[in-house]
Amino acid sequence: MAIISRKARRKAAPYLMVLPALLLLAVFVYGVGSGIIQGFGIMPFLDRTEFTLEYYEQALTRADLLGSIMFSLYFSLASAILATIGGVALAALMTRARTGRVTRLFGIQIPITTMHAVVALAVICLFSGAGLFPRLLHVLGMAPDATSFPSVVGAPSGWGIIVVYLWKEIPFIAFMTITIMMNISATLGEAARTLGASGLRTFFGVTLPLCRGAILRAFLVVFAFAFGSYEIPFLLEPTVPKALPVLAYIEFQDPDIINRCYAMALNGIMAGICTVLCVVYYVVLQREHRPKARRRP
Amino acid sequence: MSGQLDNPQLQARVRRQRCSLAVTRALVGLELALVALPLLVIAVWAFTDAWPWPDLWPQELSTRGIQQALSGRQNMGWDTLALSIGIAAACAVLTTTVAALACRALCNFQWHGRSVFQFATILPFIIPSTVFAMGVQVVFLQAGLARTVPGVILAHSIVALPYAIILMTDITRAAGTQRDEAARALGAGPWQMICHVTIPQLLPGIVSSLSMCYIMSFSQYFLTLLVGGGRVQTFVLVLFPYLSGGDRTIACAYSLVFLVITFAVFLIFELILRRFGAREEQNLYD
Repeated sequence: MAIISRKARRKAAPYLMVLPALLLLAVFVYGVGSGIIQGFGIMPFLDRTEFTLEYYEQALTRADLLGSIMFSLYFSLASAILATIGGVALAALMTRARTGRVTRLFGIQIPITTMHAVVALAVICLFSGAGLFPRLLHVLGMAPDATSFPSVVGAPSGWGIIVVYLWKEIPFIAFMTITIMMNISATLGEAARTLGASGLRTFFGVTLPLCRGAILRAFLVVFAFAFGSYEIPFLLEPTVPKALPVLAYIEFQDPDIINRCYAMALNGIMAGICTVLCVVYYVVLQREHRPKARRRP
Repeated sequence: MSGQLDNPQLQARVRRQRCSLAVTRALVGLELALVALPLLVIAVWAFTDAWPWPDLWPQELSTRGIQQALSGRQNMGWDTLALSIGIAAACAVLTTTVAALACRALCNFQWHGRSVFQFATILPFIIPSTVFAMGVQVVFLQAGLARTVPGVILAHSIVALPYAIILMTDITRAAGTQRDEAARALGAGPWQMICHVTIPQLLPGIVSSLSMCYIMSFSQYFLTLLVGGGRVQTFVLVLFPYLSGGDRTIACAYSLVFLVITFAVFLIFELILRRFGAREEQNLYD
């Protein structure tokens, strides 16, 4: 009897362990789902239950939608790609220099701890018309007055947004990859060097391929975050085009509650784009991974 | 003379290595400088009274900004700070506990639906948190969770969960269950096993998960705004309007207070847990 009950307990254990996480995820799915169905005009709390594609039609035929999608994709992809390159380089440099804990604390943890919006403020202080950088140019005789430097706020190229994300996410990517990189470098990397491979060759031939999973995962996190967050584009973006989350929130705030359906349709489009990109990413990842899978430790 | 110094190839290699190490150190130093620059600018602006173009240093310094940031005007006082820290700490503990359990089930057990669950855990990464925030607002209103502190903690925990799971997965897999089973076999009770074997093993993962969740919750603006409905006033909600315009000295002063607090709490977290961890380790080998 005792043996059976122990066996049963052991069998039930994993289900009990994931239960709290499942509850949280269920709230997430329920929240997102209730938003998405509002995009189809279904708002049970207002007794509206008729399915309609009207709001998606309105959203998709909106003149500024394509501009917004392209702008959001542009700055989030640019940030994610540059941050991944920079972050991997930073992790590699720190591994190579065998930096101590204090350096890592300062170079990696402080930027992770700092809030995005505060970084945006710092970028404004540095690069806006009257910021520190234009002043420096002026002192060096390269900018005659405060208006001669293109201000970072509202720049159509969105370079301020990218700078903020780079400052935040390069250390984040380094944080996500440095542990595994240090392990590999201390074991297989050392072996490769002993066998005569140069530092760069060891990095590109041994360390980088083995860190690929961690790097790609970090890239995905950074991209999805930049694509879906509101604060930074709100503070730094140009009047037109607006980033998708900002556009959706403007519609969401409309006093007319029916307008929310329209905001939710925009949200649906946003979630759809993210999902499609992530699926593409996973398919690519799986396909590239499969032949090498057996060789991985 | 040793053969090493006579070998010009080896000499060249040693020199090249020294050179590349110097370059590496210089680049790491550059990164540290780039990290420090924006923070310094914020710190200087927080104490600036007047900074006319094109001076490189403020004309007049004052503590006006810091005084306002700490004075308790504009809803901003010690209770706002305490509330924000409380919410963030609760979110950190809740999320890390949930994630630790989930990781254990994911890494150390075979069960039906594991791969589906694993996919579900990355959903909050894929679907933007703004979409979640706007959708969940009505749900929380109906459930009576909107505009309440538990509602805000719950929402923050959901968004932080995948980060916590990622941070704890590798270490949970590496730790395995052998030592836990050994402890049980040697007569430890379940709580003894968890406190003296399981948690110390997972400590580095727990520390990074706690601090990451704490930071995410403490600096969460959009989700807090929508779920808290303006009733739950956290530090960020007070800070944010200043960022988009107005008095730059005040904005930087609030930001400086924010930076000091997040980093102080982050350090406390780390120190406490490291001390706790060190003690456990000593016990093991005494």
